[in-house]
Amino acid sequence: MPDALQLALAFLCSTYGMSLLALAMKVHWQQARDDEGPSAVAALTLRGVGASALLLSLWLCLRIDHVSMASLVWVMSLAASALTIALTLTWRPRWLGWVALWRRR
Amino acid sequence: MSHVQHWLPLSSRIGSALLGGYIFVWGFSSLIVALNLFLGGDYDEGLTLAYMLAFLVFIVAFLWAFAATSLTRVWLILAGGGTAMTVAAWMLTQTLSAQL
Amino acid sequence: MLSSFRLSMTWVHTWFGLVLGYVLMACFFFGSLSVFDREIDRWAIPETRYEPQALPSFDTMLLPIFKQIKPAEESYEHAQDEVEGPLPPADTMVPTHFTAYTTHRDPVLSMYSWFDVPNQPKDPNVDHVHVYGDATVDPRNGMLISSDKLKIGSAFFYPLHYHLHLDWKDLGYWIVGLAALIMLVALVTGVIMHRKIFREFFTFRPNKQTQRSTLDLHNLTGVVALPFHFFFAFTGLVIFAGIYLPVTEKMFHQQHQAHEKLEAVQTGLPHDPAGVAAPLASVDAMVEEARRRWAARGMGGEVGFLEVAHYGDTNGYVSIYRAGTDRVTLTGQGIHFRASTGELIREEPQPTTVSGINEWLTGLHLQHFRHWMLRWLYVFGGLCGCACIATGFIFFVEKRKRQHAKAGTSGARWVDALAVAAVTGMMIATATILVANRLLPESLPARGDWEQRIFWFAWLVALLHAAWRSAPVQRALISPAWREQCWALAMLCIAAPVLNWITTGDHLFKTIGERYWPVAGFDLALLAVAGVTAYAARRLARAEASAPASATSERATMDAAHA
Repeated sequence: MPDALQLALAFLCSTYGMSLLALAMKVHWQQARDDEGPSAVAALTLRGVGASALLLSLWLCLRIDHVSMASLVWVMSLAASALTIALTLTWRPRWLGWVALWRRR
Repeated sequence: MSHVQHWLPLSSRIGSALLGGYIFVWGFSSLIVALNLFLGGDYDEGLTLAYMLAFLVFIVAFLWAFAATSLTRVWLILAGGGTAMTVAAWMLTQTLSAQL
Repeated sequence: MLSSFRLSMTWVHTWFGLVLGYVLMACFFFGSLSVFDREIDRWAIPETRYEPQALPSFDTMLLPIFKQIKPAEESYEHAQDEVEGPLPPADTMVPTHFTAYTTHRDPVLSMYSWFDVPNQPKDPNVDHVHVYGDATVDPRNGMLISSDKLKIGSAFFYPLHYHLHLDWKDLGYWIVGLAALIMLVALVTGVIMHRKIFREFFTFRPNKQTQRSTLDLHNLTGVVALPFHFFFAFTGLVIFAGIYLPVTEKMFHQQHQAHEKLEAVQTGLPHDPAGVAAPLASVDAMVEEARRRWAARGMGGEVGFLEVAHYGDTNGYVSIYRAGTDRVTLTGQGIHFRASTGELIREEPQPTTVSGINEWLTGLHLQHFRHWMLRWLYVFGGLCGCACIATGFIFFVEKRKRQHAKAGTSGARWVDALAVAAVTGMMIATATILVANRLLPESLPARGDWEQRIFWFAWLVALLHAAWRSAPVQRALISPAWREQCWALAMLCIAAPVLNWITTGDHLFKTIGERYWPVAGFDLALLAVAGVTAYAARRLARAEASAPASATSERATMDAAHA
């Protein structure tokens, strides 16, 4: 897979991970969906899967570059992902509702 | 409280953080370099290590200067301690020169 | 200092952040531009708009040019101040040291010569004083780029971010150094102050009151890129630590001398010339050998840095370093050859742990690596830093302007005026130098000096405008200077790419079509800035229009009370 595509995928993974971490918080869950908020188990699951997505992103970065560079790329893309999710929550919070589709009750 | 009486402790506090902190960091850096030389290490390595640690130490010293209650203690430890470390470093280099 | 730890830390964050924030704004902004400094050079010097090249032949192209380089005027004068007695005339000075370096982003080649100075230095702790000369060359044909042409990116914006072009007694370095230290302090105190740092990690509420939404954005941009902000301020300090903590010169001079002598013996790289003349063997052959050795280690690559020491002397040696484009560390894998014979003296071993960490930290900041996504992420981080500082100013003013209006003091007004100058004013100066770069006659002597004067003048005008227009802040209103400067900036940012098109013929369809990204990318960035600032200007106009209703009634009440 070409490097640019892998990097894009890594960024998508970290953005997805950040969105799950955001949804695990009651205030953001309520922005994205109509119900009261994630149960304790749901929040834990969201955090677990979210963290895994971030680690997957790191793994993808490490496949492309030397570790000294990949670690920087990953940390910086975490920042960009977090900001992306924050701004999505500000202006299009409903979009995040789709992210945890599997939790629809 | 008169104008001067208000500004003096504040200036002293700021001075202790900036100047006192700087003296402390100078003493810390030179002590690291001197100790490294005394233990037979390479000069450049010691200097590099000192520089990498110095600014972290400065942050701590700076914040402590503002967090601490006793301003006298801050000046004593930062400026005094820094001077003591500088003297210690200098004495170590004198020992080394005597050995050369 | 204050009644609680958190309060003391808040005080430090507020007041040190405010004062040094003005300096930090410039460091972060011009630092962000510096990520693409070579690309900005291409925009500013149209005759260098071609593809980057590998290092050309030293023997046939570079050596003749090196021999022609003369000492630079500024360097000559600087050296005169540092020595006893008059210097020999610049024309008679003999070069002793050559360096050339190339990057994967630079079409042009930078070449530097050192000239040894026979005079006694004034400072007893200094061994030698050198005079420097330089040349910029087109590596395809050896043509010199005139030194009148300013490399606006690498020779203006880039040094601006680390020494503010304030050379007198290194004052600029010290101011930036203090600002960097305070940046670190502000980050730590910011975290201490921010009670809900995890809960509000993703929070930005622009629809709330200005104070709340500004603080949200300040926290968001500060926390999300916190490692970036910390590492850049920290590594900046480590890079210039020799200036801030000159322990070697002041305390360890003798030990350092001894170390240098020992190192020269251990590495086989002589510290001083022997005083005996010797020819220079083929450097091209040495480059070939170096590249062969790197490839044999599985680290094939291009030459990043080449140095000839003690030129013309038997002690001369040639050092060749690999361009570290695939790693964070700057350059490495240095290989050294005897200058007179071309035989190998030494291949650098792997760095020690301490050196390795330092090289990684330095490389992280100086970014010679080839990684476009990481480069853009660096710009993103830098702009987050700018947003963090700017929102800090705005929050400071918003929080206090009502109290100050009631009390009749003008503190908030002046902080706001300086903030306008430091944010939009700075950007206006930047856009103005680009416009001037396209408008000034191509063959104007000292063209670069004129561009710089225009930059500083534009910034001064912006400051004066901000001061003049900021009176409404004293009535707890928004200063119209923000909106007016946003409009000016939008117009300048449109003018620059248009002038680029008119004066060079390189319009966007052409540069995108040819995939010449240095120029296309910069033109697009300028247009994007124009779009954002125009939008901001319109939002500000709406905000200003809705504010007077509440303010005038307040004023009427105050006037009635005074009557």
